[in-house]
Amino acid sequence: MNDLLEQLLQSPRLWRGRGPAESTGWQGLSSGYPRLDRHLPGGGWPPQALTEILLEHYGTGELKLLMPALAHLSQAGSEDAARAAGWIAWIAPPFEPYAPALAQWGMNLSRVLVVRPKKATEALWAAEQALSSGNCAAVLLWPERMDDVASRRLQLAAENGRSWAIAFRSVKALSRSSAAALRIRISAGDKGTDLGILKSRGGRPVVIRAVIRDYAAAPEQ
Amino acid sequence: MLPPGKSPATAREANPTPSVTKRKRSRAATGDTTQQSLSLQRPAAARAESAHATVVHRLWLCVYLPSLPLEAIMGTVSTGPCAVTEEQQGLRKVLLANAEAAAAGVRSGMSVNAVLAFLPSLYLEERSPTREEEVLHALAARAERFTSFVSLEMPAALLLEIAGSLRLFGGLAALRRAISDDLQQLGFTAALAIAPTPLAATWLARAGHRVCIRDWKNLAGALSNLPLACLDWPDAITASLQGMGITVVGDCLRLPREGFVRRFGAGRLLQLDRALGRLPDPRRCYRTAEVFCQDCELAEEQSDRELLLHACRKLLLELERFLLSRQLMVQRVRFSFFHLRLPATHLTIGCAQADRSIEHWCELLAIRLERLELPAAVIAIRLRGGKGQPLTASSGRLAFDRTGSQRREPLISQLVERLSARIGDESVHGIMTVAEHRPQHAWRAARFSAQPPHCQAYPLFLEPCHDSSLLSQRPLWMLPEPRPLGIEEGLPFYQGRLKLLEGPERLETGWWDDDGIARDYFVAANPAGMHLWIFRNRDRESGWYLHGMFG
Repeated sequence: MNDLLEQLLQSPRLWRGRGPAESTGWQGLSSGYPRLDRHLPGGGWPPQALTEILLEHYGTGELKLLMPALAHLSQAGSEDAARAAGWIAWIAPPFEPYAPALAQWGMNLSRVLVVRPKKATEALWAAEQALSSGNCAAVLLWPERMDDVASRRLQLAAENGRSWAIAFRSVKALSRSSAAALRIRISAGDKGTDLGILKSRGGRPVVIRAVIRDYAAAPEQ
Repeated sequence: MLPPGKSPATAREANPTPSVTKRKRSRAATGDTTQQSLSLQRPAAARAESAHATVVHRLWLCVYLPSLPLEAIMGTVSTGPCAVTEEQQGLRKVLLANAEAAAAGVRSGMSVNAVLAFLPSLYLEERSPTREEEVLHALAARAERFTSFVSLEMPAALLLEIAGSLRLFGGLAALRRAISDDLQQLGFTAALAIAPTPLAATWLARAGHRVCIRDWKNLAGALSNLPLACLDWPDAITASLQGMGITVVGDCLRLPREGFVRRFGAGRLLQLDRALGRLPDPRRCYRTAEVFCQDCELAEEQSDRELLLHACRKLLLELERFLLSRQLMVQRVRFSFFHLRLPATHLTIGCAQADRSIEHWCELLAIRLERLELPAAVIAIRLRGGKGQPLTASSGRLAFDRTGSQRREPLISQLVERLSARIGDESVHGIMTVAEHRPQHAWRAARFSAQPPHCQAYPLFLEPCHDSSLLSQRPLWMLPEPRPLGIEEGLPFYQGRLKLLEGPERLETGWWDDDGIARDYFVAANPAGMHLWIFRNRDRESGWYLHGMFG
């Protein structure tokens, strides 16, 4: 019986809804929010892929959601000596990323690169360059508009450069198709920031309530 | 003047200049009584000096370029009969013709009309002294590889002091061959002559005597046979001397000094003395420019980007060669594209790390050129290198040494350069904290340079702060300028009425830079769930301002 099951599991025709960490072999990047990690395939953010974050307003916790993971990437790996401190590129941010606050979150400021392109096409170009350069651990992008082709290009560049791409988009893009491996909708709830996983490669759509409870607090441990 | 019948000895007696008397006296003192020709033989005192001077013995190699006017412009002309013209007494006459033209019968001095009558295919070009000078400067720069002392002898000769280079290049013959091969490779006809004084070397080269005089004893003898024409004296003087039956330098030296000075000026005598080594002949050492600047003239007006890029690439190659010979690198270069009727378009390219590799510059240039708006076709391009920095070479890594940090480090500067080449220097930056309590001054954009931006720790938050009980949490988003908020029923309003969650946090003063503040900061939430950082000025009951967002 067990042999039969094993055989079945080995079959490439079988698609499994859960457990992609075993089947695809990649390990997610821990988000620092255990309740979110539990719902993400691989136990964290998908590395080397495009993550889309859909939001109505800035200031509803979109950066706090990413901060623990970004801070971890920007620091030189202690447990893994071969991993260098990665660069975190901010492309076309809507406001100034505030250095003292980033430092509070544990971000290594000497690894922050801010790019302010003048045109929307330049932003996409810069993101693609940063992703495929191979020395950015994560690229945060605030595109004015992004179509299906652009998202596919970013996804490919992220795979090539082994980098994590994060695009912040308006909820208006909800109905548009996207090549992103993960799409998360952020909305403010009564008790904190709610996350809705809309699409997750190897995972299931789900809504998680009140992941970030406090406006400034670090994640629950 | 020397009467033809008079013997040299009488001439000497009739010509007692102070220096000569002095030498005579000294000869008397040493008891040297041999009969000598005063001018042609080096006097004993001078000989003694030269014995002393062997310590700093100098040897000059003169490179004379007889066809420089032609060869300077030949670079822009394809093969075929061609000639350089010059205006002489209102007539355009041929100055020099190349071999093909000469074979067809073109001689210098012919009028242009006559030449064109029997050789219509002849390519004629006006002589360009500025171009000749440029070529001479370029050759001088090139000659610096053979010696540390190169001097320009206008209009068409270079003087190289080679005594110090003999050992390095394996002797006189080898050095001479190396120099002449180099010139030949560049396509220049050159006459080389070597003598202990610069002027003697120049005259010998001009006369076409391919001689090598190392010994002072032979100098006067070699000079005495030179025709007067190679001295490059004014025509009137040469004619006057020839009228006296003086045709070679040796005759000249036999003239009484006083009369010679009276008739032809002290300068001519000084030249003769210097050529013979009786008087020192200081020369100015040629120094190449420290900043690279070169033009490239295009054959015709050009607006095709590919071809322009190709021309720029050639200039960059020259820049690389220039930098390589000086062990320098540059961080900034400027291209100027000249148009026929419009002012030039400039394009400055900088890179985060000084570099001299042409590939790197070409890549940056291609990105910029693609987007550069040229108002008209280009006729010439100039490349100007920025200030050179000493080359800081880094040793390469071993193939098996593949630790991530070392592999990743050099790449970020390339990314930054690519981004800033297209988007602009100011648009790519890092950030750093500043030890300041005023929120707007507590951070700063950091320029990218060879070193990663120096990061000062924020004194209050040396440790990453995970304690929410600590009051002074800062928002992740900061507005560039505080934005005034509307007020509704006494409370600030931003997409809905704001609810104050925490505060006030009072931040004050800044008298030292006239940007003082007196503000009470609050954390506020709006109905949409946004967390905002707002403040109110203390000094007057003014409105509320939005300063940041807890993103």
